[in-house]
Amino acid sequence: MTAVPSGVWLPRLTNRARGLVNGWNRLGSQTAFYVRALGFVWEAIVRYKVETLRLIANMSLGVGALAVIGGTVVIVTTLTMSVGGLVAIQLFRSLSDVGVQALSGFASAYINTRLAAPLVACIGLAATIGAGATAQLGAMRINEEIDALEVMGIRTITYLVSTRVVAGVVVTVPLWCMASLAGYMATRTLVIFAYGQAPGVYDHYFHTYLQPTDLIWSMLQVIGTATSIMLVHTYYGFNASGGPAGVGEAVGRAVRASLVVAVAVTLAVAMAAYGVSGDFNLSG
Amino acid sequence: MVATEARPAPPATSLPIGGTKGTKLRPETYTKPLREVGSFFALSLDILVQMVRPPFAWREFIHQSWFVARVTIFPTFMVSIPFNAFAVFIINILLVEIGAADASGTGAALACVVYIGPISTVLVVAGCGATAMCAELGARTIREEIDAMRVMGINPVQRLLVPRVLALMVNGLLLNAINTIVGLVTSFFFSVGFQHVNPGSYAASLTLLVGVTEVVVAFAKATVFGVIAGLIACYKGITVGGGPQGVGNAVNETVVYTFMALFVINVVLTAVTTKATM
Repeated sequence: MTAVPSGVWLPRLTNRARGLVNGWNRLGSQTAFYVRALGFVWEAIVRYKVETLRLIANMSLGVGALAVIGGTVVIVTTLTMSVGGLVAIQLFRSLSDVGVQALSGFASAYINTRLAAPLVACIGLAATIGAGATAQLGAMRINEEIDALEVMGIRTITYLVSTRVVAGVVVTVPLWCMASLAGYMATRTLVIFAYGQAPGVYDHYFHTYLQPTDLIWSMLQVIGTATSIMLVHTYYGFNASGGPAGVGEAVGRAVRASLVVAVAVTLAVAMAAYGVSGDFNLSG
Repeated sequence: MVATEARPAPPATSLPIGGTKGTKLRPETYTKPLREVGSFFALSLDILVQMVRPPFAWREFIHQSWFVARVTIFPTFMVSIPFNAFAVFIINILLVEIGAADASGTGAALACVVYIGPISTVLVVAGCGATAMCAELGARTIREEIDAMRVMGINPVQRLLVPRVLALMVNGLLLNAINTIVGLVTSFFFSVGFQHVNPGSYAASLTLLVGVTEVVVAFAKATVFGVIAGLIACYKGITVGGGPQGVGNAVNETVVYTFMALFVINVVLTAVTTKATM
């Protein structure tokens, strides 16, 4: 009943080594896929203009049941609004514990810009556009549509993957704007109308501490994260296997991977942008 | 014995409604979301009722708990570490700036237990646990295993769904514990190692603003998140239809709906508990 064919020297060690080698190879093929997908971006923009535009339109509004509830824009806005509300509720309480609730405007400008908006926009992107792309590409792979495209002589990575990466990143920028605005508005509304702070006080501190450079970094953060999320999701979709069940499995795995990647990339860009000192002066 | 006659009815009435594909008629497209919501609540009610009916599928519960734990533990660490490091990094910059670096422990505990903890639990439970569960249930539905169970007279709600929802609930609770511990340890090393906070004052100020109440509230929230994510994942998993694209879309919708539901519920629960403990 041995699973190992006879004549193999040191079967257990060979098995383990094979596992390691397979993992190593997967890492290599994944990297090759990412490099190729990024390398073909220009070609995708130039040659498959119509397809890219179609994907941008599709992604901003979502497909199927998600489009009914308003698409990606509404979903991401809801997520950031709830986080903005959270910032208001929790920070107002904490700040009034130490008697400086006047600084709520500062907290909104600081935390929504640097932490909440980029992270939540990216998570919303991964959940809606990213997972949708995995489901689509996975279904195409299972139905052998990707193989059919190859047979027709179309470069599938350019046509399917690079176009999606471009579309995802293009869609992200307005999405991030919506996300930031929704976050600011939710915090402001709650602090002013629910907790009764004077609007002038809030606005003064908010405008004083809202730095334009922070906003630019926040956007770059989102663009970097969106690129890596789209790459991860398209990889898992493009290489799905195992029938209809395999597509579901691939979507689940892609979401798990991209969550980890999103948080890690956001942190890395933040550390690079703000440095250890934080590039920040409270006293002005 | 009462259960046997009540059992076949709920799946027969509640399940196929979501699975039927509406035609392209205009009214149909507008009523479909409503129908979905209705059948989701019907299934949730079934699950909640079956939860307290005696025959409980222990074996499935233990298997599912292990499955969810195996899928979520690694992402929990990987989400919790950068997330907390990021938050503590920002808070510490602020605290050092106003000359309150001693209170860095307070900031870290507040961030980790009250702010970040529930959100990163949401991310892990919804993004990892619910997706894996929906993918696995969807695979069973598409292979017609669920229908086969029904034909054999086994109630899939009682045998498959109840243990899954409970497994995600228990895991939500446990994952919140991991989140909190990992977060506090990460914050400690980050504050002490990178931002030169005194380790003694970090530890001493840890419990300044965060007490038992906050911790209990955080764990209660995590439990609620687990139940809701489990209900959505089970509903989406069992109403899968339409081949490969259908299964992919079901998992996609699970992520979106659980994220939205849990984020909104988190805000509501936070507002309520903040008012209550203020």
